Amino acid sequence: MVRMVRLNQGLMRWWCCKSPHLRMYYQWSPPPLTSSQEGVKHHVVDLRSDTVTKPTDGMKKAMMEALLGDDVYREDPTVSELENRMMHLTGKDAALFVPSGTMGNLISLLAHCEHRGSEVLLGDLAHIFLYEQAGMAQLGGIQPHIIPTSHDGTYDAKELVHRLRDEDVHCPRTTLICLENTHNKCGGKVLPLSWIDEVGEVAKLLRLPVHMDGARLMNASVASGESASRILEACDTASICFSKGLGTPVGSVIVGPEPFMYKALRLRKVLGGGMRQAGMLAAAALYSLDHMVDRLAHDHSHAQMLAQAIHQNGNKIASCHPSEVHTNIVVVEVNPDVLSPEEFCNRLSVVEEGEKSAVGDSIIVKVLPWTNTAVRFVTHHDVSTADIEAAAAKLKYVIQEIDKNGCECCVFADYQSEAERNEALQCRRGLGVEKSSLGACCRPHSVNDAQRRLFEMAYVRVKIWGNHSTLTTVMSVRPA
Amino acid sequence: MDSHVFSITEQRTYVICLATNLIPLAPTRNQFCLEVTSEQTNIMAATQTSGDEVVVVDLRSDTLTQPSPLMKQAMVEAPLGDDVFGEDPTVIALQKKVATLLEKEDALFFPTGTMCNLVSVLTHCQQRGSEVILGDQSHIYLYEQGGISQLGGVHPRAVRNLPDGTFDLHELRKLVRSDNVHFPVSALVCVENTHNVAGGKVLPLDWLDELGATCRQLGLPLHMDGARLLNAATALDLPPARLVRSCTTVSLCLSKGLGAPVGSVLAGPEDFIERARRTRKAVGGGMRQAGILAAAGIFGLDHVYPTLGRDHRLLQELAKAVEACGSKIIRCDPQATHTNILLVDCDLNVVTPEALCNRMGQATQEEVMSLGEHVIVQMLPITDTKARLVLHCDVTPNQVQSAARKLRYVIKELDSDC
Repeated sequence: MVRMVRLNQGLMRWWCCKSPHLRMYYQWSPPPLTSSQEGVKHHVVDLRSDTVTKPTDGMKKAMMEALLGDDVYREDPTVSELENRMMHLTGKDAALFVPSGTMGNLISLLAHCEHRGSEVLLGDLAHIFLYEQAGMAQLGGIQPHIIPTSHDGTYDAKELVHRLRDEDVHCPRTTLICLENTHNKCGGKVLPLSWIDEVGEVAKLLRLPVHMDGARLMNASVASGESASRILEACDTASICFSKGLGTPVGSVIVGPEPFMYKALRLRKVLGGGMRQAGMLAAAALYSLDHMVDRLAHDHSHAQMLAQAIHQNGNKIASCHPSEVHTNIVVVEVNPDVLSPEEFCNRLSVVEEGEKSAVGDSIIVKVLPWTNTAVRFVTHHDVSTADIEAAAAKLKYVIQEIDKNGCECCVFADYQSEAERNEALQCRRGLGVEKSSLGACCRPHSVNDAQRRLFEMAYVRVKIWGNHSTLTTVMSVRPA
Repeated sequence: MDSHVFSITEQRTYVICLATNLIPLAPTRNQFCLEVTSEQTNIMAATQTSGDEVVVVDLRSDTLTQPSPLMKQAMVEAPLGDDVFGEDPTVIALQKKVATLLEKEDALFFPTGTMCNLVSVLTHCQQRGSEVILGDQSHIYLYEQGGISQLGGVHPRAVRNLPDGTFDLHELRKLVRSDNVHFPVSALVCVENTHNVAGGKVLPLDWLDELGATCRQLGLPLHMDGARLLNAATALDLPPARLVRSCTTVSLCLSKGLGAPVGSVLAGPEDFIERARRTRKAVGGGMRQAGILAAAGIFGLDHVYPTLGRDHRLLQELAKAVEACGSKIIRCDPQATHTNILLVDCDLNVVTPEALCNRMGQATQEEVMSLGEHVIVQMLPITDTKARLVLHCDVTPNQVQSAARKLRYVIKELDSDC
């Protein structure tokens, strides 16, 4: 008998709402392909992040031909060329090449906040705050002070004044203000120039420097039509990534005033970012400045295409607002009454029976769960218009399927063996749970365990149905 | 002294023979800074315009090695992926290769040796109030900007390094803390092989084994800064795994003698590497398509590692050239020169290491006439009394001979000036 029980849905909802942003999306990975699907050639569209971009042939050629030297001795001419170029592009006095955006931000924070007992004002959805492993606190002894972020990536500039610390023995000293442009968590939003300038004015009044996490600054520049230097006018320092939409394999650059950059150079060394013949990486970055900036507009239009494709499917299962899509990121809300973000991602990453003939191709779309109720799509240069069209077709099919059949999706749990997994598949079929079901089964004695794990994970609905002779079918999420 | 510090904003013309006159900025010697005196630049300018062919032999460090055309080919052909997602096949291949080579469970790729050591110490010393025992002449202690303390809150306890790069194991035992509210907690012992400041010395194998046994008895893990481990293995003609048998973790550089442009690898137990991956991300070492760099490392291990013996042999030529002069002012000991680093002692009454390096970085007219060639040898002062020369794969045998001739000339010049 099929017995569908929504276990403690109230509790689950509460858990879901509790911490909507504390998702370690990097830990999620899609379920393995079933044996029937392995070996089949799939059209894979990887929209997990623009960090997956690979260097183009032209870029590799530039890397091969670059003049090199030891950058720790500051003798690498290609790194120097890149740093000079970035100085001029951003209108700042100095620049420094670093291996990652995380290090770029960390160096900036540590260089600005030289003294013990510093505090940084930043948005509560900032990458620096959420996804850099609390580096500023862990390694720098700096306290972050968060401000509620609006949906457009900004925060109330007046909050900066309200939250400025008094000179008092109880208080740390406010030392820095941070912004993020484009704003990742808010869906690749371009910060309004007027707001950035406003923050700059307030910062001047409060005598505080401003640092911009400009990992995707060039996306903001292309989308808004404003130059990087104009956007950064009110900012003292910025960190800009090359390994994302610009397509280089590794690297970021920080820009700012000269005295700051000397401190940054020292910090780069102590953190272990003093690479030797880094000119090969700098060459890729130089190439990207010439060839990969303008084409970001294509990524933006691809993101619009995806957003439209989702929006046109009725918005009952998955919804987004194309007007909210500024650049190359699309955040899609999934209806929590029907399915979780993991389930949606899982479904997009497999090809079910009958799908290939309906859609016209065997398409896998890789995306990441983003919050308790949303999924993130990111377009980039390794995804063509044809890829986007395929992804749109798949999305349409999946949304319609879920609309029709509901979604009892989940990821595969810890099967002990292939045989057990096949048995689980049989079990699900026997229970009449066929299409759009990625079931998971576990042994009866471990049902409680699975349930407990699920509650701990706090973002999956649990349905227990059926009681096959040896297996109980439980909806579960694959352990991270 | 009229000096001219290169600032980052300056337009620099890239001069192939950039002679650095290393003036210690402060009482701390051994600064690899970039002060160039204007006299120096004038001499260089003169040299450039004079039209001679200048033979530049850059022996400042093996970090200067550049990737060969074949290495670059390997780099651009490598399959790539996002290493933060754990999807770069070339990085994974390099990590497996090094883990196998050193007979450790797992390995992790880093942009630099400094980060490798930093992350290793931080990962070993998770507890607040940790202390690490390490040699007082070790790279981690002297040249990593105190990172383990600055960033990790780890306290260093320096044990006196002996001239051969080792330290007294009795002293080590004495430095281990007991459980007392006044004391930090001893959490790690570090050792360096080959030992840089001691002159590229290979640590004796029996001492290493004894150190390992001592650490085991004390219940302390042992980390080896093996930046130049493969030079040590080559000198002993042993597999590197044998040298690191007693070590819990090992860091190994790819960007030095192995010629790769960037990179280092940390090897150790699986659970340690798992934790190190997190620490690496926190310090900003999570690179994306890092396979392009890892491919160079793989090439270096396959094709350049077997040639390290050549660097050692060529360096012996230089050492013997110095010794053969029989000078009391500039001395070295070829027997004590184990690998690719040569330390040259200076009689401070006559010449300082800085002055020697300056002189070697210039060429007088008489010298050019006498030698029949215009040779510049770049080297670094390493202590108050010693200068260092490092041989590597980018130095040709002809350059070594030119450098030897120049050394002999300069030593004779110094001798005759007295």
